[in-house]
Amino acid sequence: MSQLSLKHLEKSFNEARIIKGIDLEVTEGEFVVFVGPSGCGKSTLLRMIAGLEDVSSGEIEIGGRVVNDLPPVQRGIAMVFQSYALYPHMSVYENIAFPLRVERLPQAQVDERVGAAAKVLQLESRLQHRPGQLSGGQRQRVAIGRAIVRQPKIFLFDEPLSNLDAALRSEMRIELMELHKRLGSTMIYVTHDQVEAMTMADKIVVLDAGTISQVGSPLDLYHRPDNLFVAGFIGSPKMNFIGGKVTAADGTTVTVDLGALGTIALPRQSRSVAGQSVTVGIRPEHLRLGEGDFALTVTPNIVEHLGIHTVTYATLPGGENFIGLFEGDPDVPEGTPLKIGFATEQVHLFDQAGLAVY
Amino acid sequence: MSDVARTTEVAAVDSPAIVRPKFKLRSTKPMIDRYRWYEALGLYAGLAVFLFFVLAPFIEGFLVSLKPLALLFSTPYSFWPSNGSFDAYIRMWDSVPLLGLYIFNSFFISSIVTIVVVIVVVPAAYAFARFQFNGAGLMLGGFLAVNMFSGAVLLIPLFRLMRSLGLLNTYWAMIVPGAAFLIPSSIWLLRTYMIRIPKELDEAAWVDGASRLYTLRRVILPLAMPGIVVVAIMTFIGAYAQQFIFALTFNSKSEFMPLPIGLFAFFGKQEVIWNELMAASFVGVLPVMVVIVFLQRYLVAGLTAGAIKQ
Repeated sequence: MSQLSLKHLEKSFNEARIIKGIDLEVTEGEFVVFVGPSGCGKSTLLRMIAGLEDVSSGEIEIGGRVVNDLPPVQRGIAMVFQSYALYPHMSVYENIAFPLRVERLPQAQVDERVGAAAKVLQLESRLQHRPGQLSGGQRQRVAIGRAIVRQPKIFLFDEPLSNLDAALRSEMRIELMELHKRLGSTMIYVTHDQVEAMTMADKIVVLDAGTISQVGSPLDLYHRPDNLFVAGFIGSPKMNFIGGKVTAADGTTVTVDLGALGTIALPRQSRSVAGQSVTVGIRPEHLRLGEGDFALTVTPNIVEHLGIHTVTYATLPGGENFIGLFEGDPDVPEGTPLKIGFATEQVHLFDQAGLAVY
Repeated sequence: MSDVARTTEVAAVDSPAIVRPKFKLRSTKPMIDRYRWYEALGLYAGLAVFLFFVLAPFIEGFLVSLKPLALLFSTPYSFWPSNGSFDAYIRMWDSVPLLGLYIFNSFFISSIVTIVVVIVVVPAAYAFARFQFNGAGLMLGGFLAVNMFSGAVLLIPLFRLMRSLGLLNTYWAMIVPGAAFLIPSSIWLLRTYMIRIPKELDEAAWVDGASRLYTLRRVILPLAMPGIVVVAIMTFIGAYAQQFIFALTFNSKSEFMPLPIGLFAFFGKQEVIWNELMAASFVGVLPVMVVIVFLQRYLVAGLTAGAIKQ
């Protein structure tokens, strides 16, 4: 059963429309990630669900109840802020206990709940410290603790890891996933980092300029992106795009003229793309050195050796960047022409509107 | 003194057996804080000149308070009190019997003004710092405009106002206008301070179910305390300084007079008892000094450390 549903949600600040009609269903226990570039409205959307921003039009339903006009505390949500928003003058204990103090819970119960949260988050030895004495990861855990004690139906996370350094971030990512497993509550998580989205989400919502670009599981989005935006956003390094023109579409094969690179035949049923300017996409990790169904020759101007991978950066005759990702440490010197091949079944095709053609 | 020289010396004493370092041992101070001896000398000389300039009236005032009255009019004038004593500090209580009351009045009026201002300014500053409402900018601009008028310009309308409110010749005649003229600048000061408190703290409290007032009391007030103390000190000093004009105009009862008016009592018909006047001034300023020394301990910076990631 859907626990949170957004129905044609819109938000405008004065004349500017930030959120342009969002429909979304979230099932109980799901880990949903809102991802998108900065300015796409993902944080605004989360703040609308939290009750920190009012709704211009549309409905937010939590547990079957329209909560548009309810204050946050009555929505059954708890929020973790990007900046942690800890109260610096209170001890860790009082920070975590803050929502319970507001509720005026008896001290025994406060002790019990704060104790339980501190245990889950391994903060027991830190309870009497001030936030200023804690490391970034511990502060983040205190912020999460403050959310846990409320026992909310839905947790909202607004880029909670973006202030941490890389090593701590991957550590906290795993902690959050474990927490999700243990608590089993619904979590909505906003990030601009697609790696976080891919690794943590049950369901990713890709937002672009106030609209949903695509909703799906991480692998769905990876293998079957609906449009150019999602294709370019999900995956690292970015998918390579090559502009071309469809010369023939006979119902089984679409033939695309890639200009100086030659012609590529892709297995597609669509006939409507005939004559259109299209974009062909191939992920850097699907490229092989040497021959393939289709091969092209590029001259890498930068080569990165990561040990496990080697990444090459080249420019195509049409001016597009072309990135190759190869396993191991093959001998690919900078400035030397390189033959790269790939299988046509791993190629993505997008029509002139930017929508995927299957 | 030169740190370079000192460090080298210490190093030489510590390691007599070791080969003398070829290069001079460097000071451990960061580069930006290192000065040559003549630079340091220049800095201190500059400081001394500046300090003397600021403190000269006080020094001379203090010296005057130590001199017998006759010496004050001697020619050539001698700055140094050759046969100085603290007699004036004792005799002044007899010359002006109400002096103690004047000092108390000054202190009392300033304290009440400070309390009133803080009570009014804290919620006002919070509102201006956090709420978007029509006319906020206009009101803030208006406050600034009010500050451009000194109380003296508005004395006559104020006098009429006080008279119709029946406040003349009461403590309120000095407290009300005193507070009124100090509130605007205090709102500006505290508003700026409160804007610096991250807005997420309010939002986090709001998400957790706290009301605006609860948030103000439990979260904002403790964090704004250094700012509030600054406002309190500024107000206290301001109130102490500006009482003169209001007391002179709105009050004619000597039992309500603050010190600045009370000092007039040392102006006799024939002569001014300068040494006792100075002594009384110093004793009168003492409460302010005590308040500042006491309160400045609370001016701790960095109370917001750890609220959000910097």
